[in-house]
Amino acid sequence: MRDDPQVVALVTRASGGDQDAWHQIVDRYAPLVYTICTRYRLSNHDTEDVGQNVWLLLVEQLGKLREPAALPGWLATTTARECLRVVTAANKSERLGTGLDDSVLFVDDTAIDEEILMAERNAALRAAFAELPPRCQQLLSMLLRDPPPSYAEIHAELGIPVGSIGPQRARCLDRLRRSSALAALGEGENKIDIRGGEPGA
Amino acid sequence: MRDDWDDERLLVALGEAMKAREAVPSWFIETGKNAFAWHNIDAELAQLTYDSNEDRLEAAAMRSETATIRALTFTSAHLSLELEVTESSLLGQIIPPRAGALEIHTRAGEISTTEVDEIGCFAVDPIPDSPFRLRCRTADGTDVLTGWITI
Repeated sequence: MRDDPQVVALVTRASGGDQDAWHQIVDRYAPLVYTICTRYRLSNHDTEDVGQNVWLLLVEQLGKLREPAALPGWLATTTARECLRVVTAANKSERLGTGLDDSVLFVDDTAIDEEILMAERNAALRAAFAELPPRCQQLLSMLLRDPPPSYAEIHAELGIPVGSIGPQRARCLDRLRRSSALAALGEGENKIDIRGGEPGA
Repeated sequence: MRDDWDDERLLVALGEAMKAREAVPSWFIETGKNAFAWHNIDAELAQLTYDSNEDRLEAAAMRSETATIRALTFTSAHLSLELEVTESSLLGQIIPPRAGALEIHTRAGEISTTEVDEIGCFAVDPIPDSPFRLRCRTADGTDVLTGWITI
């Protein structure tokens, strides 16, 4: 993933002034920045503050990132630092530190690394999904509903014969699996447990 | 590439990826997108080098009795901006003193302008009630932008 050509291209375009590329970067990595904020249990107000700072810092750094492909790592580290700044300031002003347990201050590097890997995998999956034909997108979206719909409901909504749903599901997932967006996930990433467990475990 | 992912696992992973995206509030994404307005602003960034709030938290209870509620200093290679927050307005001075123009940028993207007199003094009145940053352009061509300020 470190040399994901999509990310490199987006950073290069954005630093050249392409607003659409910037929007794609934000769409792609907002979940990463946001998740780290939730790890620090920030309020909405503080989360907005941190988000604002992180994206502004990135805007300023766009042309200077030595390795654009390392963007997720840069974002995660910067977000964690900004979160820590907010939490530390809150802790100081609350004097007694009520409501803040110390563990909040120690979101360790391993946790951040996990977030980066998850964010890269999730971003690749969403990009792969976006490359699918509309029919596959509709079917997979429906299958992901909670609770999952019955095949009869899928038939009623999408008009796919009940007997074809299984094979279509398999074909759509296969297209997803073989998409170029997922292919961009580097070899090291194979170590991640797909169920979201420990990386490299 | 993903031959080792069977259909069930792939679908679960896709579901997680979608959920991670849906969990992000739209305002959070908008904030990020709007930040691009600051791209290629050809101003030198001034860092916050002093904030009285950092020093005198215990004095917070007494703040209504003091004329200056808060003092801030932003420093760049070419100049410093010294800010003093009073009850009703924000007073500032450019060091070393010189004339120029000061822009107040809000997060919503609004820009207002005020004059900096020849001894480098300016006033921002009223104080913006949401985060803002100041951009100072002096007659000699210095162009400096502060970080975000919340009063």
